[in-house]
Amino acid sequence: MRYLVRRLGFFVLTLWAALTLNFFIPRLMPGSPVDALRTRTHNRLSQDALEQLLASFGFKPNANLLQQYLDYLGDMFTGHWGVSIGASLGQPITQIIAQALPWTVGLVGVATVIAFVLGTLIGAVAGWRRGGVLDSILPTVFVITSALPYFWVALLLILFFSVWTGGWLPHDFNYDSTIVPGWTPEFIGSVLVHAILPAATIIVTAVGGWILTMRNNMIATLSEDYVRMARAKGLSDWKIMTGYAARNAILPNLSGFAMSLGFVVSGAILVEYVFNYPGLGYLLYNAVQNTDYPLMQVLFLLFTAAVLVAVLICDFAIVALDPRARATS
Amino acid sequence: MALATVGLLLSACSGGGTSSTSSSTEDTTGPTGVPSGNHEKGGQVTIVNVAGQTWSCQFNPFNPAVFQQSQGFVYEPLVFVNILNDQAETPLLASSYTWSPDGKSVEFTIRDGVKWSDGQPMTAKDVEFTFNLLKKTPALDTYALWTGAGLQSVTAAGNKVTMQFAAPAKVYFFNFANQVPIVPEHVWSTGEAAAHPDTWADDKPVGTGAFTVNNCNPNNIEYTANPTYWQPGKPYIQTVEYPAYLDNGPANLDLATGKGQWGSQFIPNIKAFYLDKSPDNHTWSPPVTSVTLYPNLDPSHAATSKLEVRQAIAMALDRSKIALVGEGGQEPAANQSGVVTPTFDKFFDSAAVASAGYDKPNTDKAKELLAKAGYGPDHPLDLSVITVTGYTDWDASLAVVKQQLAAVGINLTVQDLAQQTYDDKLYTGDFDLAYYAPPGGPTPYYEMRLNLYSKNSAPIGQPASSNYSRYSNPEVDALLDKYPVVDGDAQVQIVKQIGDAMMRDVPVIPVTEMVDWFQYNTKDISGWPTEHNPYAQPAAFNIPDVGIVLSSIWSKSAQG
Repeated sequence: MRYLVRRLGFFVLTLWAALTLNFFIPRLMPGSPVDALRTRTHNRLSQDALEQLLASFGFKPNANLLQQYLDYLGDMFTGHWGVSIGASLGQPITQIIAQALPWTVGLVGVATVIAFVLGTLIGAVAGWRRGGVLDSILPTVFVITSALPYFWVALLLILFFSVWTGGWLPHDFNYDSTIVPGWTPEFIGSVLVHAILPAATIIVTAVGGWILTMRNNMIATLSEDYVRMARAKGLSDWKIMTGYAARNAILPNLSGFAMSLGFVVSGAILVEYVFNYPGLGYLLYNAVQNTDYPLMQVLFLLFTAAVLVAVLICDFAIVALDPRARATS
Repeated sequence: MALATVGLLLSACSGGGTSSTSSSTEDTTGPTGVPSGNHEKGGQVTIVNVAGQTWSCQFNPFNPAVFQQSQGFVYEPLVFVNILNDQAETPLLASSYTWSPDGKSVEFTIRDGVKWSDGQPMTAKDVEFTFNLLKKTPALDTYALWTGAGLQSVTAAGNKVTMQFAAPAKVYFFNFANQVPIVPEHVWSTGEAAAHPDTWADDKPVGTGAFTVNNCNPNNIEYTANPTYWQPGKPYIQTVEYPAYLDNGPANLDLATGKGQWGSQFIPNIKAFYLDKSPDNHTWSPPVTSVTLYPNLDPSHAATSKLEVRQAIAMALDRSKIALVGEGGQEPAANQSGVVTPTFDKFFDSAAVASAGYDKPNTDKAKELLAKAGYGPDHPLDLSVITVTGYTDWDASLAVVKQQLAAVGINLTVQDLAQQTYDDKLYTGDFDLAYYAPPGGPTPYYEMRLNLYSKNSAPIGQPASSNYSRYSNPEVDALLDKYPVVDGDAQVQIVKQIGDAMMRDVPVIPVTEMVDWFQYNTKDISGWPTEHNPYAQPAAFNIPDVGIVLSSIWSKSAQG
């Protein structure tokens, strides 16, 4: 119990530190929302009018910084997130996030889960039959693909499956904009088809890591006494592989998986960018480009909260799963 | 002065470009007027303009983040002024106007029979209301009409609206007549719109324009034709799709495959990537301003504040080669007089450019000038130039510039900076040379005033509004001050005189000409602006030009 309380205390402290950094770091960046707006409007508009407009939307550069900071902390917890002062000038942040979050969680989240499941399966089998055909081909191939840059894989996939094939698979957007969104088979089909290439990009580049760690864990576990014991009992290979070896080998991978779920929210900026996929990663890029403080703050809050919560759950899970964690605390 | 009725002086011209025998496919138009042919209604066009954001579905025409999707489509100004055709004017909500002899007051006659898209009539009262709204809410006065241009009052009487200025104001006509969207008083004087006109979302805009917003989501805006539009027969196109493109890559691919018909951004290697994909794919990108090297004239920058060094750079550059290699030939070369050609040919004095020795690169002369300034093989000159990271065509251009300057003994370092850092350095004067394209205007005067007027400068360390090289010359200031109060030919002479100063003092060094990127597909859509009939600026981000183009193009398949 004391361990859990300490974890919780640590969580709160980290969250506060992260929130504080999220407030100050963007303001230390060069540039200001006024300059960004001025650039976006090609220096055609009056500087005074732009400053006043941003002020109307809640940008108060001359207010006391400490006061701004305290207001910010309060607003973050009460959900008064304000409106964008960047590319979506005037649009409520909650609305912007609500429109982008489901797409990122849907695309990157599902792709991450698929990559994990696929990687773990391949890793388990490869580790079981180490030196076999599967073991000598798949891990090697996927370790190489996981070293490739996201955007490059994305461009190759677009070239192969969209450009050279005359548009087999869509290369941009999250659904066909001529379809009215709704729970219709047409819309859902369009969403799935549009997700294939971006999801494939993430899976191809992420699966290698899971394969490698799972395979190595598997090999280490296979030399454990309890596996030898299972063999001595005459259990079937399948049962030993799944019930004795893989079940233990997957434990370290699970905590890694929990962590990576936390990072899902931050999206895959480059993947979203290349595929014109309107998710959180692209939003973050755009917010930084346009010095959009309100949007940046909320995005960073989401990202830190997601990772911290994932880590916290992971801590709790370890306590539940592993008696040694309880003993050392 | 009566309003020139360009586009109403009809002359037959087979601009349709199809073999159709139907008379409805013939464009009846003056050679450079807004087409006013007779076409069947129908069809759809998809705009592929990278706005770099998902749509917020707000249409407040004064919000600079969204006004490109609002003005021209839904809201219209009083008069359309065509930059590309010697400021040819097409009357929109004002049917005509008259200036007072002293040029300090202008009286607009507001068009009869125009209806807002909710059915209410549009009147002079709405025009009066709009301009006074800008006065009441300075955040909306984005062209600083009440503060900078000296607007004193706007009053309506009958169907006339009179605008009174403190000083001759013809030079601001482009801004107040062509760029201020007229909004309906009965909508904007109640509720949220009246309380906060600057932050109001205006998600269901009521305007006089050819289109209304039918449906909007973060990915796409769909506009449909306004059935009660005041121009009879227009618009021909019934549906406009405007998807939200975040980056050039996906956008250009959709242009190449024909999914979108109207492109407005740079396509690298356009011949192979776009033009060769279909005989229906075309491009025409007219130049509007100059991509310019800004030397820092402040004495703290010893080299660039020396006239000989700037002259040497201007002499050493082979601008045609920079345009060809850096911009793939899609931008023309600029010239040292700062007049964008062929757009503003009327103001261009090629003889003066030749006699000043700037008509072709001259490396020997450049070396000579550098030697005079004290630089040579023993004292090489090191300079750096700032540019924005990600502008790949500019990077390519600067690579050629670097090569050409190396040939005369200048060692140029190209600094690729993030936009924010670049802006900061550009505005405060923290650079040797800066690569930048200023906004243009209906004549070269506007760009020259931005670059050269001493009131647009500021001491080093403080942000200058547009005179980034910190040029100050009382003679040029006087010329710039004189331009607004004279007419026609005298204005041309003034621009030529300022062009002479550009060559004498080399305050800025124009390198290539910034164009209005435009790609168009003619498979189904005809009536696009072309080199032969530049009736509006063709890139979809120009307001109000986008509305003029949208109400002039028509679908071939819809013609019976």
